[in-house]
Order: sequence, then C-alpha cells, then structure tokens
Amino acid sequence: MTQNIQTIDVPIAEPFAEPLVPPSQTPYVERPHGPVGRSEDRIDGPEKVLGTALYGADLFYGRADCFVSVVRSEPAHAEIVAVDPSAALKMPGVLGVYTHRDVRGTNRQGLIVRDHPVLAESRVLFRGDAIAVVVATSERTAEDARRAVRVDYRPLPVVADMDAALAPDAPRLHPDGNIMGGKRIRKGDADAALAAADVIVSESFCTQTVDHAFLDLEAGIAHYDGRTLTIHVSGQWVHEERRLIALALGLPLESVRIICPATGGAFGGREDISIQIYLGIAAIQHPGKTVALRYSREESMRARHKRHAMRIYYTVGATRDGLLTAAKITVFSDEGAYRSTGPAVCRKAASHATGPYRIPNVSVDVYGVFTNNNPTGAMRGFGACQMAIAYEGMMDRLAARLGIDRLEVRRRNLIRSGDAVTTGQRIPIATAVECLDAAVRRLRQCPPPRPTDPHKSRTRPPALPPHLRRGVGYSVICFGLGYGDGFPDASRARVGVSDQGRIQVFTGGVEYGQGLITMAAQVAAEELGVSVRETDVVWADTEQTFESGSSSATRQTYFTGNAIRLAASELKEQLLDIASKLLGVHPHELELRDGCVVGRFDPARSVPLAEVVAQGRARGYSLEATALFKPRTVCEDFDTGQSPRAFITYLFGSHIAEVLVDIETGEVRVDRYIACHDVGRAINPQSVAGQMAGGATQGIGMALMEEVVNRDGRIANPNFTDYILPTFRDIPPVECVILENDDPGGPFGARGIGEPPLIAATPAVLSAIADAIGVHTHTTPCTPQRVWELLHPDEAAVPPDARFSLAPPHARLER
Amino acid sequence: MFSQPTTLEEALDVRARCGPDLLPIAGGTDIVVAMNRGQLRPAGFLDLTHVRGLDAVRHENGRYECGGAATHATLSRLPVEALAEAALSVGGPAIRNRGTIGGNLVTASPAGDGCVALLALDADVELAHASRGRRVVPLREYFLGYRKTALLADELITRVRFPKDWITAWYKIGKRGSVNISVVCCAIGRSPTGLFHIALGSVAATPIRAPHAEEIVNRDGLTDGAIAEAADAVRRDISPIDDHRASAKYRAAMSVTLVARLLRRIRDRVKEPAR
Repeated sequence: MTQNIQTIDVPIAEPFAEPLVPPSQTPYVERPHGPVGRSEDRIDGPEKVLGTALYGADLFYGRADCFVSVVRSEPAHAEIVAVDPSAALKMPGVLGVYTHRDVRGTNRQGLIVRDHPVLAESRVLFRGDAIAVVVATSERTAEDARRAVRVDYRPLPVVADMDAALAPDAPRLHPDGNIMGGKRIRKGDADAALAAADVIVSESFCTQTVDHAFLDLEAGIAHYDGRTLTIHVSGQWVHEERRLIALALGLPLESVRIICPATGGAFGGREDISIQIYLGIAAIQHPGKTVALRYSREESMRARHKRHAMRIYYTVGATRDGLLTAAKITVFSDEGAYRSTGPAVCRKAASHATGPYRIPNVSVDVYGVFTNNNPTGAMRGFGACQMAIAYEGMMDRLAARLGIDRLEVRRRNLIRSGDAVTTGQRIPIATAVECLDAAVRRLRQCPPPRPTDPHKSRTRPPALPPHLRRGVGYSVICFGLGYGDGFPDASRARVGVSDQGRIQVFTGGVEYGQGLITMAAQVAAEELGVSVRETDVVWADTEQTFESGSSSATRQTYFTGNAIRLAASELKEQLLDIASKLLGVHPHELELRDGCVVGRFDPARSVPLAEVVAQGRARGYSLEATALFKPRTVCEDFDTGQSPRAFITYLFGSHIAEVLVDIETGEVRVDRYIACHDVGRAINPQSVAGQMAGGATQGIGMALMEEVVNRDGRIANPNFTDYILPTFRDIPPVECVILENDDPGGPFGARGIGEPPLIAATPAVLSAIADAIGVHTHTTPCTPQRVWELLHPDEAAVPPDARFSLAPPHARLER
Repeated sequence: MFSQPTTLEEALDVRARCGPDLLPIAGGTDIVVAMNRGQLRPAGFLDLTHVRGLDAVRHENGRYECGGAATHATLSRLPVEALAEAALSVGGPAIRNRGTIGGNLVTASPAGDGCVALLALDADVELAHASRGRRVVPLREYFLGYRKTALLADELITRVRFPKDWITAWYKIGKRGSVNISVVCCAIGRSPTGLFHIALGSVAATPIRAPHAEEIVNRDGLTDGAIAEAADAVRRDISPIDDHRASAKYRAAMSVTLVARLLRRIRDRVKEPAR
C-alpha cells in the first residue's frame, strides 16, 4: 500500500514548519493540482482574529428590544404544583412570563425521541429543566424577575446515579422504566470461546461526565414579524433545528428561518436545541420586537446535555500467544433525564466496543439508564471514546498478563485491510497497523524543541529524582464515519457563479472553528480551477442553503465535500459548454485554469470566466448546480448487531503519550505527545493538524482533569474554576503525523478527522500512567488524587469494590 | 457610588466615613467573579488602584515592605522563593497582573496561595484607620475563621512586611499547570536563627501554620527521623474536608508528603550538618 506521510509538529503558539510532502501514487483518485492538499489560510480567519466576526454574544448587544431569562428547576426531581408569576409581573419593565400553556405547538424537543418538554408541564427531571420564560426590557430586570417567579414543587426522590436508578424500588423516571434501551452484538459464541480460552482478563472501567466547555456561550437574538420567525443562534444542524422549533412552537416549517452566527466551538454541545425555542416563545409573544438571550457559564453548564458517564465491564479471552478469541462486554451508560441523542450514542458504543481488533466471538450489551442528572447526548467521540478507554486498557492488561510487549499484542490482533470489525463489516483499507508503526517511528526520532524551554529540548535528563517515574502509553483506534447504522445521512450543496466570475458555494453545514467553509471553498476551487480567494461560501442559513446534515460525526468533509464536488463538476460542464461555443473548441479539450477557460492543447485560446458567465446568462444557462450525496448504510441487525455496511467508511489513528508521574503526590505531566491519523487525504493539512492537536488536548483533559461532579442531582462545579480544562502548560507540542491512504469514496480521497483525535488521546495517556506507576487505571479522570489512590488503595475515598456494584456475572470470570 | 482616591490619606478617610457601603476594590479578581455569580451586589466601590505608592515594594533593614495593592506579578519577581513561586502559581498572567496581595489577604480563602507563603515568612500585616492610626498584626493572628479576618470594616490593609533573606520553599498540588486552585499547598521558611515556619493551604478553614510539626524540627533539626516525625505531626495541625476538589484523606496524606519534601529541600539548601 502506498502512503503519503506528512509530519506536522504543532508547537503551541509557534508557526508551522512547512511540511515535506512526498509524492504519492494512488490507485484510486486523481491527483489534485489546485488548492486541495494545501494549507490554505482560513477564509474566516482574518475576521475572527481582528474581532470583527459577529458571534451570538455580539448580536446580543445593541440590537435587542427585550431580554429573555429562563426560570429553571431547583430540585432535580419534583412535581410542579403551581407556577405563580404574579410578583414578577408586577415588577416594572417586565413584559411577560410564559409557561408551557403559552406554547402553541408540541412543546417538545429531542433529536431522536421528542421526550423533553421545552417548558416543563407537570414534572421536572433534572436541576436545570426549564419551567418558564421571562421577557423584560433589560437583562437585569429579566434576571430579577426570573428569581421572583414562584414555583411550588412536591419533591420526589432524586435518582442520583445508575445504582439508584436500577434499584428495585427506584422511582420511575419515564413510563417504560429507568432503562432507556440499548444495543446488543452477538457474534460467534463468546461464552464457549471464553470457556476454551487459555487466559481470561476482566476489568471494570468508570468514565466521567464531561462538559463540552465551548468558549462561545449560548447567545442570540430572534425576531417575529407575524409571518416569519428569524433566529440567529449557533447550532450544529440548522435545518433539523428548524424542524424541531417549528414543531414545538406550532409554526409552519417555512415560517422559521435559522441563521447561524460565527460560532466558537460546539463539540456536539450544540446538537440539541439550546436557547432557540425560548427565544421563539418570547418573539412570538412580542411580534415586531427583537428578543435576546444569553447564558452565563453556570447556566450553560446547568442547562446543556453532557457526555455519557459509562460503567464498562470488559472480559477478554485469548490464547497463550495473545491472540484474542472472545470478548464479553456490558456497558451501563448514564443517560440523565432525557434521551437526547443517547440511543445513538449507545449504538455507537456497541459497534465500537472492540475497536480495531479482530475478535471472532463477541457479546456486547449496552444499556442507557435514566437518572436525574443532566441529559447526556452528543459529544465529540459519541460513545466510541469511552469504549476506547476500555479496549485499550484491556490490551495493556492482556500484554502484562502474558508478558508480551504491549505493541506486539496490539499488532497481533489489529485488523488488516479486508478484515471485518465486530459488526461484521469488512474494511477494504484498514491502516491501524500503519498508523501505529508511523507513530512509533516518530517516537524513536528526537522530540522537537519545545517553545517553552528551548535549552532542555534534545537531551533527556540523565536521571529522575526518586519520586518521579516516566511512562509511555500507546493507543490505536478506529472510528466509523457518519451516522451509519442505516440512518438517513445526506448532504446537499449548491455551487454557482456570480456575474464577476466569483464562485459561490452554499452549504447548510456549520462552521464552528473546525475549518468547514475553507474545506468547502478548497474543494469547489479545485474542481473549478480557481483559487480559494475567488470563492465565497454561504453557510448555515435555512433560507439560502440546502440541508447538509449536521456538523458532527466527522462527516462534513466526506459528505459535504462530495456534494460540493459533484455540484461544482456539474457547474463546470455548463461553463465549458458555453466556452466551447465562444472558442470553437470541443468542451473536452477545454479546462478551467486561473479564472479562465483555456484550450488544453491550445492555451492561446482563452476566455475569462466573467465573459463566460455573461454569455451563459444571455443564453439561458442556469450557471448553478445542486448535488446530493447520499450513500446508503445498512442498519445493524437487532439481535446480532451485524451489518455488511454499518458505516460508510472507517478512520484509523494511533497516539503515543509520554508522561512523568510524581508517585508521592499522584501528579501527572504529559511530556511528549504524538498523534497519527490516516485521513485519506488532507484537504488542508494545517486544519487537519489543528483538529489533531485540539482533539488530543480534549482527550488529555478527559484523561487527567475534566469531570462534571454530580452530587444528588446537582452539579458541584458548574464553572471554569472547578471544571478543570487543560491549559497551555498541560499540553506539550502535539507532533502530528498525517497518513494519506485515499478513500475511494471520499472527495479527492479525503475521509475526515473531527472525532478520532479525541478518542485516541485518552487511552494513550492512561496507558502511559499505568506504564509509569505499574498499576492499571480504571477510572477517569486520573486526577492526582486518583493516581495516588491507585498506589494507596486502602486510602481511597471510594472503596475499590464500588466499581463492581452493578457488575454482571462475567466480570468475575478472571483466571 | 464610586470613589477613586489618589492618596492613602484620602482612601483611609473615605473608608472610615463610608465603611462597608463602599467595597474596596483593587484587582477585582475575586469581587468581579462573585458579582457575576450574583453572590455580591455592592452599593459602591472604593477603587484603590490609583492610590499612589500602594502597589510599591520597598526594601529596608533586611525586610521587604509591600503595599496592599502590590500585584501577584510584582511579588513573583521578588527574590523570596516561596512567595515568588506562590505568586507565580496564582491564576494566569492576566489575573497576576490585576490581583493583589491585599485582596488575597482580605478574601482569606483557605486556598490563598499568597497567604500561605506569607505565613511561612512570619509576615506582619499593617491595618490602618483614618483616625485610630495603624496597627500591626502578625499574619498568624490575622485569620480568624473561614473567610474571617482581623481587618475591621473601616480599615484598609496598607502594608505587608516580611523578611528578605530566609531560606524558603514552596509546593502546590493542583489539577493542572496554571489557573490552578490548590488542592493542597505548603510553604516553609527557615529564619537565619534556624527556626522553621511551616504553613499550609486548603487543609483547614483558613491558611494555617503547623505548630506541632514546627516544634519537632525546631527541637531536633533536619535529621531524617525528625523530618518524618514532623511531617507526621502535621496531621494534628490540619483539619481537611472532603469536597469536589479532593478528599480529606488525600489532603492529609499530601500535607505529610509536602512537609517532608520541602523540609528535605531546605536541608539540601542549608547544607546544615544533620544533628
């Protein structure tokens, strides 16, 4: 297999080194010769750097006539006896207080099952459930009035965690009980294979609740003119948001317009509806007025869904040589109060339960469990990152048990091209081993100089003080791109050309910092032979753009990239056709180059694009094209979880972390970090490296510090003082190794990069800690206290056995 | 109401007249956060950032004398290791450029890094009133209880004094590299006469000194046995709690670890022959 390898070090706050790109000969895809493959500057970069880009919070200032504030539940579980707004309504400046009775539509939200009342009707299920919306003439008044709205509750017992939810006498949070549902996989005979295995290793893992912690807090404005409700709020899937808003508010779909402002991060945290419907309720009640709402960090953390905390029971059987023969896996997943995207997260956890490993006999059961915590839903990694912690943890344990090198155990079991993953899908290009090997090669090279301490860079300190231990950790992961699992997944794009000859790309996808619109411009410009500077992108406006699906699931480059390429290619046919008549040259002998149509064999014959457009308009050409990219996947079988094509394509990656652990205090410092991903083709290598560094940072945060602490249904740390995010000092320069093995179905061979860097990062760090201290980790995040407790199990705040309280019988099978 | 005096006399005068009605504010790194959370809605402010000389650090008679409005950034450049490192571990650059040592002492958080370092230096704090004049309180008597101090509602912190040439050491355990609230922090200062001053943060309702531990090393010196005994004795000086930042058990164990580690570090510096 031919490979194109680029290595980009991402030294924090330093410019990129120019990557060396060796030529690649691919059997599948034509070579791009224009902007694709170049680290083009971000189209939205200058305005974001200069501060002229308008984010939701910028719209909030100076444009609003009235301000909205949301009355939220104080108890985590209660019946609402009465809502009395009279005191609030008497306050000067208060324009109205609205409850579910004032909502004309279904008053429901939820991306998969609409089970979440927008404004609570009779019961609240988490501390943060919205009850009423206050509208006032100033933000301060709206805040004061919110506090003055009196809500009488009849408290109900709080289901604080999954143990409480599954207790026999637990209060029922939803009509069907506290188990939301789940997903199973049955492949071969796991029980028989375990019985026959030479060695069995068992472990239980606990992962934490994580917040998206995007910096651009929920904020925006809305306006209703009696006909159309226009909402300017950041989301991740504006067309689906429009559907949900229209349903909840009882408006016809055409009467809702969503325009996405500049958006600072999402990570899945904007997939569920946030403030849009509250704004809609207020705007409809006050037609002609512009209403505004913004969250504080605390309200944002209290209101928003989170990443599922999971308890994972994992048993593997293997031969003496370390070949995996069986895996039996049970997962309980804290679903919180409502479903959100939980059912899909459970399915993704199941289909990724064994990662990139070849295991003939597999049994997986994933259960979502309702509690009175915040709803849990989409977050970068989407169920796959929790499973990666478990399967990579098991590979380290198996290696230790058998006395085989950790890398060797992985290499013996990793899938190769043509092998099948656990869902039965065969992967034609599986580059897990190639990623691991490339990362290890990089590790053996000298680390790059660190921008912070240039003097200490190239040589290791000769000896560590006695309380410090060094460790190296590895991870290999795979990730199915797109929604998969038979779920309809499509992207539409429109490409046109202006009278001046500028290319215009229209996509419904959301740019939240990941580089979508620059990718869109690069793909269109490549296809049309122009530069990115001659390309404009209109994005995420339900009136101007077609639906492109969500900006999530690592899918936009693959799906929207393909749709744009198809549309651009159709537009190109029109342009060449027009030019052919002008130049008297057959269209097949023409090409678009540098903003002109040029004879391929006779470059003297040339006509500028603007002239082609003018002639085309006169001759009745549409000069635009729309394309749909909608590949099919096959739903996983209900009983066995098997599917010939659960996901459109798979991504592979491997990370290596080097850590220093202080064994007296439990503090961990990540000293060196290598990330390697096969992205098919890097449409914009610098953007790809940025995603890799960002994902690694989030994954290191998940491994070491980030945790939403839920105490009896109350978030104990709803702020950035105590919700600990990594800082520059916690992340070494991320050494990015980009492998390019073209995907036959991707635009110019590209696959995508969004989620995998996060998924691979957490297990690499955990593996490094285990290597350093000689004890395997099982609970994230590995705060100093948890690492210290691993070394002093008698002193642990939570007794070690607590992890097994939900244990299914197979968790005790170890031998 | 907003008052922005330029001289200390004026500031003390306003403080004496308006008392608690005007909240003294310097960097605002605690106050603004509390206001944003709705925990504080002051009627007005007494802005201390324009008071001439209040942010200065002077050096006389082997002691430093810093004004109440000296910033963490300023302190982080002093050649007093524990204090400089403590100041450098506060927040990020923006917070260090705004936040002041006086604010640290007024907030009196049990996790106040500056307070812990100053305790280990056996610092004095000068509290002033427009008419009653100035009184000097040893810092170890200044903290009265959880976020309660000896500062009266009509006084301002004008100066903090601490020695220049002590051997000191500092260590803070937090959850990340910067903008880092201490889970446990420890500072130790050794006076030229060989007396040890051991201070800890985040292990009691206030920043504390550890008299039981001090007594042992002051008596027995820095032998391996004395260090271990002193470190263990610190358990009698602390009263840590379980909260979302750490467990009491971890805090207690880390107090022991840090006291031992810093005493050894000081021993390495002193090169004092083990007695």
